[in-house]
Amino acid sequence: MTAEFDKHSERELDALLESLREDTAQDASPDLLARVLADAYEAQDGMAAAMPEEPVVAVPAPRSRGLLRSLLDAIGGWPAVAGLATATVAGVWIGYNPPTAFDDLTLSVLDSNYGYEMNIGDSLPAFDDLQADG
Amino acid sequence: MPLDADSELTDEALLALFAGGNRAAARVLTLRLTPRVLSLAGRMLGDRSEAEDVAQEAMLRLWKIAPDWRAGEAQVSTWLYRVASNLCTDRLRRRRGVGLDDAFGEGVEPEDEQPGAEARLQEADRMAALKSALAELPERQRTAVVLRHLEGLSNPEIAAVMEIGVEAVESLTARGKRALASLLKGRRAELGLSDDG
Repeated sequence: MTAEFDKHSERELDALLESLREDTAQDASPDLLARVLADAYEAQDGMAAAMPEEPVVAVPAPRSRGLLRSLLDAIGGWPAVAGLATATVAGVWIGYNPPTAFDDLTLSVLDSNYGYEMNIGDSLPAFDDLQADG
Repeated sequence: MPLDADSELTDEALLALFAGGNRAAARVLTLRLTPRVLSLAGRMLGDRSEAEDVAQEAMLRLWKIAPDWRAGEAQVSTWLYRVASNLCTDRLRRRRGVGLDDAFGEGVEPEDEQPGAEARLQEADRMAALKSALAELPERQRTAVVLRHLEGLSNPEIAAVMEIGVEAVESLTARGKRALASLLKGRRAELGLSDDG
């Protein structure tokens, strides 16, 4: 467009633009700031008003918990039940058919096997006496 | 939360607080951003009153978009510059519709005719001539020149504001400056430019 738009002209133009930059620097007037801030507050109030009411979400009523469910929860659920069942079966089996290792242990410690012979009848008053005493 | 104009919070963080109803964030954003928008509008339009209207309108649009602002997508200042420059462009186009002379007049009529004010008058004439030449630039060239040389934005920042590539920005500013030089050529004496350029 302009062959004469050389570096010299460009420097002059840059200097002019710099002058214009300083010349046109302007502060926002308090009045303008007040108007902008009023708009801001109004927009915020509008946003608050436009917000939907607290959403009404149907909260499902807690289902009544069955006795079994409560019991299961109390002892730790089905895995705990399985453990209990295993221990019960093992206890019954040990009672029915005690391992010989038990005999060895009790013989060495108690000089007797694990079967206790207690004559409970001798240590308790006769039932008849209790009845007689009232 | 105590906030002041020097708050280190980013514009985006403040905008999120604003959207949550924080009055202090509104004040900080107003004090921080309004002068920048006003400055751009003033330089593009050359009219204080119109620039204030544009600044208020641009800020109002910011307030309204705040609840829907998507974090990380754009810088608040870039978005604001874009809105303001578009508003200015609209006004400039309307002005062109009514004629440049009606809108700008022939420079600034000197109000002070006292001889002592001669130097100030000359400076005012220089600035008026440059403003007038700027006003004659095509809108996009003018926007690029104002953002680059008056607002001091970098080319990548201008590219983001104008939603074009950096090379396009360079081209626009270069063409804008050539056009300015051409427009001013006939007014060298008025501007005090050398004749050997």
